[in-house]
Parts: sequence; structure tokens; C-alpha cells
Amino acid sequence: MTSKPDTLSPAGPVRARSRLNGAHIVTSVAAAVLVLLAFLAVFADWVAPYDPLRQSLMEALQGPSAAHWLGTDDLGRDVLSRLIHGCRIAVIAAAEATTIAVLLGVPIGLFIGYRGGVWDWIVMRIVEAVVSIPGIMVAIAIIAILGAGLHRAMIALGILFSTSFLRLARGVVLAEREEVYVRSARVIGASDRRILMRHIFPNIAPPLIVQVTLTVGAVLLAEAGLSFIGLGVQPPQASWGTMLNTAAAFMDFNWFLSVPPGIAIILTVLSVNLLGDVLRDSIGRGIAVETRPETPAARFAAAPGAAEPVVLPRRADEVLRVENLQVMVPAPGGEVPVITDLSFSIARGETLGLVGESGSGKTLTGLAILGLLGAGVRATHGAILLNGQDLRALSPRQIEQVRGNEVAMVFQDPTTSLNPAFTVGSQIAEVLRVKQGLNRAQAWARAVELIDRVGIPRPEERARAYPHELSGGMAQRIAIARALSCNPSLLIADEPTTALDVTVQQEILDLFRDLQAEFGMAILFVTHDLAVAADICDRISVMYAGEMVEMAGVDALFADPRHPYTAGLLHAMPHASDRMPPLPTIRGNVPRPGDWPSGCRFSDRCDFRVAACDARIPLLGRERLVRCIRAGELELEAAS
Amino acid sequence: MTDKPLIEITDLEVTYWGRSLMGIGGKPFHAVRGANLSIRAGETLGLVGESGSGKSSIANAVLGLVTASGGSIRFGDAELTAMRTRYPPAIRSQIQAVFQDPYSSLNPSMTVEAIVTEPLHVHTSMDRAARRARAIELLKLVSLSEEHLDRHPHQFSGGQRQRIAIAAALALQPKLIVLDEPVSALDVSTQNQIINLLYERRAEFGIAYLMIAHDLALVHHISDRIAVMYLGHIVEEGPSDRVYHAPAHPYTRALLDAVPLLDPAAQRRRRAARKFAPAPDAPRLSATGCPYQNRCPHVMPRCRAEMPPAFAIAGGGTAACFLHAPDAGPAPETARLSGQPACKEPAAP
Repeated sequence: MTSKPDTLSPAGPVRARSRLNGAHIVTSVAAAVLVLLAFLAVFADWVAPYDPLRQSLMEALQGPSAAHWLGTDDLGRDVLSRLIHGCRIAVIAAAEATTIAVLLGVPIGLFIGYRGGVWDWIVMRIVEAVVSIPGIMVAIAIIAILGAGLHRAMIALGILFSTSFLRLARGVVLAEREEVYVRSARVIGASDRRILMRHIFPNIAPPLIVQVTLTVGAVLLAEAGLSFIGLGVQPPQASWGTMLNTAAAFMDFNWFLSVPPGIAIILTVLSVNLLGDVLRDSIGRGIAVETRPETPAARFAAAPGAAEPVVLPRRADEVLRVENLQVMVPAPGGEVPVITDLSFSIARGETLGLVGESGSGKTLTGLAILGLLGAGVRATHGAILLNGQDLRALSPRQIEQVRGNEVAMVFQDPTTSLNPAFTVGSQIAEVLRVKQGLNRAQAWARAVELIDRVGIPRPEERARAYPHELSGGMAQRIAIARALSCNPSLLIADEPTTALDVTVQQEILDLFRDLQAEFGMAILFVTHDLAVAADICDRISVMYAGEMVEMAGVDALFADPRHPYTAGLLHAMPHASDRMPPLPTIRGNVPRPGDWPSGCRFSDRCDFRVAACDARIPLLGRERLVRCIRAGELELEAAS
Repeated sequence: MTDKPLIEITDLEVTYWGRSLMGIGGKPFHAVRGANLSIRAGETLGLVGESGSGKSSIANAVLGLVTASGGSIRFGDAELTAMRTRYPPAIRSQIQAVFQDPYSSLNPSMTVEAIVTEPLHVHTSMDRAARRARAIELLKLVSLSEEHLDRHPHQFSGGQRQRIAIAAALALQPKLIVLDEPVSALDVSTQNQIINLLYERRAEFGIAYLMIAHDLALVHHISDRIAVMYLGHIVEEGPSDRVYHAPAHPYTRALLDAVPLLDPAAQRRRRAARKFAPAPDAPRLSATGCPYQNRCPHVMPRCRAEMPPAFAIAGGGTAACFLHAPDAGPAPETARLSGQPACKEPAAP
């Protein structure tokens, strides 16, 4: 590791903290406004300087003065007192309507979502009918039946807003109902009621809280609106809506009358919505991020500093050369490395396997080469040379040119890597038009040719198919055709057969081999399955916890694994042995990034550990590379 | 073990009705087409097949998550298909399950204690303290400990989550656990830990397993018997070693040969010997005859005309293939030698 990330890392959290403070202030102000509102609502009788209903026609329509801070209205009533009493109405209105909406909408939504069928159909049609009419008209219709007045208006609003809670609850249930843990609960024998209340309902809480805050804001506005048109709070009672009504009538005499209730409404609604946003964000964050007992960044920094010398000899025909690649991901308390000191090269027509378990960094290596690391993930060190050109030094625009043209990628799941909205032929033609400047007809003809080349019968017809109309194996062939459309010099294949059945996997591996013989591209083949690597790769690099632990030609690696982790993996393969349990295992789990041991990262799972393993172990060798100080003395068993 | 099976599946059919655009009508999809299986107490049956073969549908029918459209499932003296999806508690508690994806099979909002004790909540009148004590016992059975009780699923790795799911499945001391691809989402080094754990608990409690998987080699490690499914049919069934080492049905053989060998040289030889490449566009299922006819290197006119019944195989079990009909003469070599280039030129049809 160089000093560069070290000097950068303190800046990250500091900036994050100052941003946090900004958000914090806004949140505090919003919370303070709402606390004040609640306080005024409860203690209005004590706080208000005058009786809000006391008329004094002599003092009508005055501006702000020492006696009346916010002036008086048309009947000489104190505006400030009316505003304060209006808080009470606002709080009652919001609580009443929101409670009705939740109590009505959530249970019905849960029920119809879980039951489905005819109940769902009937209720949803009613909801759609209600939602299709403007809200205020529905409220007016309900008030026409129930009669005017605050509580009746709030019942009307409650019914109106219950539709959004109903849809929310139904939507969550529909999604959760198919979750495996709900199936598990059924298998256990939990009743429908229990499944709904104990297993599904808790997962509704986060969106529900957000919806409540949004509804409170909407109810406040609607109450003001209804009172304004005379259907809510009835005069002479003070509410922000009736105050606005008065202000509108006397606009020409005292324009200031509209200002206090207007500002009160804006402030309150804004505060409620802001708080809702904060709640939603914090709930989301609570699920996504977990706390770690110690700061991983500090732990890693304790490891010896200097970058390893590159041990790769330069080879003829080298297409890709990666030197000392380091990739960092954001973590609480700074960044942690996920790939360190990774160096390898691939020659023209060669297939290099990148093999390892989840968390080894093999997929990120592929994405780093393409410059497609996700948000916050960055390559901090090293060089990625494609045909002699360092991809890390290129601008985003330049790398876009390289992508597709010189390097292409095939992903694990073809049904998600292809766009469901377009025919497969047009997706290949699109690449050809953008990258190679072919016209529409040329691109289409070439796409059909490619589809034929990847072994799909009736290519003309299949080019017009949508991805969902194809089987997994067929879709993967299309993805390969698309990747090869610009004849790239490097193809990155990330677990391209993992989602497929074994018989289909065999066909796809044959296709890769076949296409490589014809086009001569270099392939970086990322897989967790050593047997697949044995079939397709010329050389294999075994990754563990972000670093390469062993690299060898495919025959040498399987006949004579040198690193204990490689040997352990080979033994653990299901078809490696014929015996009944206990099957050979590697004890423990792959450590997460940030929890890596400071010396040999495999040391706490290794049966051959000695004291010297606690120091950083270099990758040694020339033709074969191995990162184990005991590689020379250990006699590890080959798998088969 | 007695001769009477714990669970006996006869001519089981599972049909799903697709939805058309208007929400009514739609085409039927026959996921399982007349399956016969039985599992004795304490026995493990491995059910193997590729995606769409109907293996998970059999699991769901046994668990009462879907209703069988035909045939019978007898569990002890009870007929499960007659109960549709409403099993009485006495039966529910006897048949438990562990599902494939440890990331979605545990409720993210519940603690480990709540997850593991949920079956006790539903089926017993134990109080909170007793349930907690039992939960600690259960966690120990899966090599976890008391300190994990109050954590949430997202704090665990895939392997640990699967241990939690197994602990919950063991809670009621069931007679049968359906394992639906229990390790296929796990890393290689973790897979064997879970297989070993399942094997040990089986020996300890005499549980029977119905283990669904796509990997024959993995299933072979733990199963007493293996059944192979293809497009809704059980094409071969028999003792684990016999099916693995001497597969009788061409499809079983194709499955075994498709898994690459760990020896690159042997794999190269096998690849060179592989002559028959199934057309990727072959129609999946014909209206009559053997389900495998369009991909089978040994296909005969008879295979296209009628559905082969299950013929007895030397070494135990059955295979639904006319190659093994008593009047068919000597069967072509379909045996597979472990680690050797197994493929030979298929016999001319």
C-alpha cells in the first residue's frame, strides 16, 4: 500500500461528518417546529394572549401592533390567538384523518394482498375508481353525505387517504408473500393470521412510517382547503383554513391577514415531510449497514506498507497486463481494501481462470478492468494495461470507447443482462451501430450472422425474439454474441455458466472454446467452480481474500496444488471424492474485507500454520506463483 | 427401519395453471407427470434433475405448499393430497423443510431466537424461558451458540444462515425434512460443512431426508437412494451407488458426463470422445413417448410411440427406458467409470 490512500482516508469521514451536520440542523429545525406545534395545541388556552372568539369590531382589520402582534381580523379578533388555537385544530385534524386512514387502509390492504383472488379484484377496482376522481371531489361527496364540520371532514379525508395505505400494504404483502421465509412459516404450520401479523407486518413498518408523515402533510393541506371552501371547520371556530378564508374575503382591506396562516401551513407541512425523508433514510441505512466491533481501516493500515514488486515476466502476445491492482470499498470509518497487489497477464488466445469463493475479489477484478466499479468503489493503485494502454489513465469518455470495442463482458445471469424490452437481434445491432458505425440494415445482417455463429438455429427468426422467450442457455449464447460483436481482444466472462444447468453449461463451455479458436481473443474467466476452470482454462489464478494465493498452468495446478487453500478447495469439490460424510472441509469462513488477518490471510483456517505465517507473505515463483512460505516443504494431496 | 415406508408417493401429478392476460383461463403446465417415490424412516432420498424437471414441485406437494392435481402422497396412515394445503398440526410438525437461499429464507426483521423458536410457538405450549433454553440447545446442534440468539439474519454469512434454518427445522423433531437445494447457494468450502452437519443430525435423530439438488455428485455423498427427474418424469431410481456408478438411463449418464472432471487431462480426453452434441433447439417435450427422445443418442422408433414404463435394473432400482426392456437384448454401455473418460461412441440407434 502506498501513502496515497492513507493521506486521503481521513478526509473522507470528515467530509461525511460535515454533511451529516448540515442534515442534522435541518432535521432539528423541523423537529423543533413540530414540537412547538404540539405544545401550542395542548396549551393554547394558556399561551394565547386573547380569547380567539372575542370580537371587538372597533379594532377590526388592524395591522400588527404591540397589543395585537399579528393584528386583528374582520371582527376584531386577535390573529395570533386564532393562529395558536388553529394549531390545535391542525393537530386534531392530522391525527384523526391519518389514524382513520391507517386503521382502514392497512388491514384491508393486508387482507386482500394475502388472500388475493376475488376479494383483491373487487377492492382494487373500488380503490381505482376512488383514486381516479380528484381527491377534493371525493371529500366533498363524502361530506355531502355526512354533513359539514371538522370531524366529518376528517372522516372523509381518512377514507380518501386510506386508499394509499391500502395500496402500500397490499404491495408489500404481495412481495413478501412470495418470500421464502413466508413459505418456511407455512411449513412450520403458522396460521394465516400469524403469518400476516408476525412475519409480514413488521416488514411493512418502514414504508408505513414514511407514508404516515406524507399523509399528515397532505391532511393539513386538505383540511385548510376544505375549511377554506367552508366544508371543514365552521366559523367562528379558528382554524388555519377558515383564517385563510377570511383573509381572502378581506384581501383589499388588509393583505397581511393571509400571511400568518399561510406561513404556519407551509412550515408545518415542510417540517413533516422533511422528517419523513430523514426517517426513511435512517430506516434504509439501518438495514444496509451493520456495525463492526473495530475499525477495519486502522487494522489494515498496520500491515507492512510497500507494494510488492511485480513478479510477472513480460510475455509475447500479451493482451492484458494488470500490475499491483488495489481496489478499495467504502466502509464505516473509512475505506477497506477488497483487492490488494493483484498482478497477472493474459496472452492472445489464452484463457486465464480467476477462481475463488465469494468475497475473494474475483468479480471486482473484472469490473475494475472495465472501469465499471460501483459507487464509492475505486481502484486506488496499480496499472491495467490493455494492449499496452493504461486503462486507469483514460478519461471516462475514452474508456467508453474501449469498452465493447476492445474488451467485452459476459455476465452470470443472461436473463437479467439482456434488456427485456428489446428483441435480442436489436440489442446486438445496437452495439454494432454505436461502436462500429454500421447502418441499420448492415447492423441487423451482422447481428443475424453472429446469432448463427453462436449456434442458434433459425437465426433470422430468433433475432426477433425477446429475451424472456429464450431458455437460459439460448439467452447466454445471445449475450456471448453481443460481447463478440466488435471482435474484442479481451473477453471477461463472469460466472457465465453458473446459472445454467450442467448439460447446458457443457455446451456453453464448448462454444467459448470454439469461438476463441476462431477469433483468438484472450479470455478472463471468473468462476467459483474449479471443475469448470479445469475444463476451459489454460492457466488458473486462485484468489483468496482479495489477493492471489496461487497461479499455475491448469495441469500443474490440479496435479500438484502448492497452496493449502487450493488443495482444500480441490478436496471439497463434490465430485472429488466418493466417500460418505464426513466430507473434507476447510474450517471457518472466508473473512470479510476489513477482517483479514494481518499476515497470511488464510492462516486462521490453515492446518499448516506456523509462527512465521503472521508476517506478510509474498507471492513467489516464476512459472508457478504461490503465496505460502511453506510451499516448498508441504506435500499436499492432489484431488483425484 | 421397517418395510413400511414413511412416505409413499404414487402417480403424483402437479399442474400449474398459467394466467392469461385477462386473468382467467390460461394454459396448464404439467410440472410433475406421474411420479412414484417412497422414503423409509431414517432414509435419505436424493431427487436430482435440471431446472424445470419438477423436483421442487414434488417437494412443494409433500410440504403442502401446492395441491397435487392427481395421485397420492401417503405419510404414515394419512393421505396428504386429500388435505390440500391444510395439514393438521400433528402432520405439519412431522414434515419440515430447509430451503435453498439462506438470504431470503430467514425473515430479516426477526431475531435468531424468534426464528428458531417460531415452530415451538406454533406447536407447543412452552413458556418463553423454556423456548429460549430449547433454542440454545438447537443452536448447539448446528455449531452455533447462545451469543447468536439476539442477532438478526443479516449479521450472518450464508453458511451460518443455513445452520439457523436447519436449527429451526430440527426444533419439532420431525420425521422428514425436505431439503430443497440446501447448499447450492453456498461456497464450496462451506457446502461440505453443511452436508456433514445434516448427515450427523440424521444419524443422531433418525430423520428421513428428501434432498432436492441439481448436482448428482453432491447428492451421492449423503443419499441412500437417488431418483432422477426429467421434464416431470422420474426416469431412473435406485440405490445411490448404483445410480452414480452405473447409471441405466441415458439422461442420468448425460448428467454425470456434463460435470467437468477435476483432472484437466482426463477432461480433455472426455471432451474429444464426446460426439453427440444435443441440438440446443430440440423441442423439449413431445406429445407421445419418452420425454428424453429428442436428446437421446439411443432413441428408437418405439421411444417415440410409447412412454417407457419403469424396468427393473440389475443392482437395484428402475429406469424408464426401453434399452432395459426384458426383450431389448443387451443394453449398450451406459456405465460411467469415475475419473475416466467415460464417453464412448454411442451405439447406433
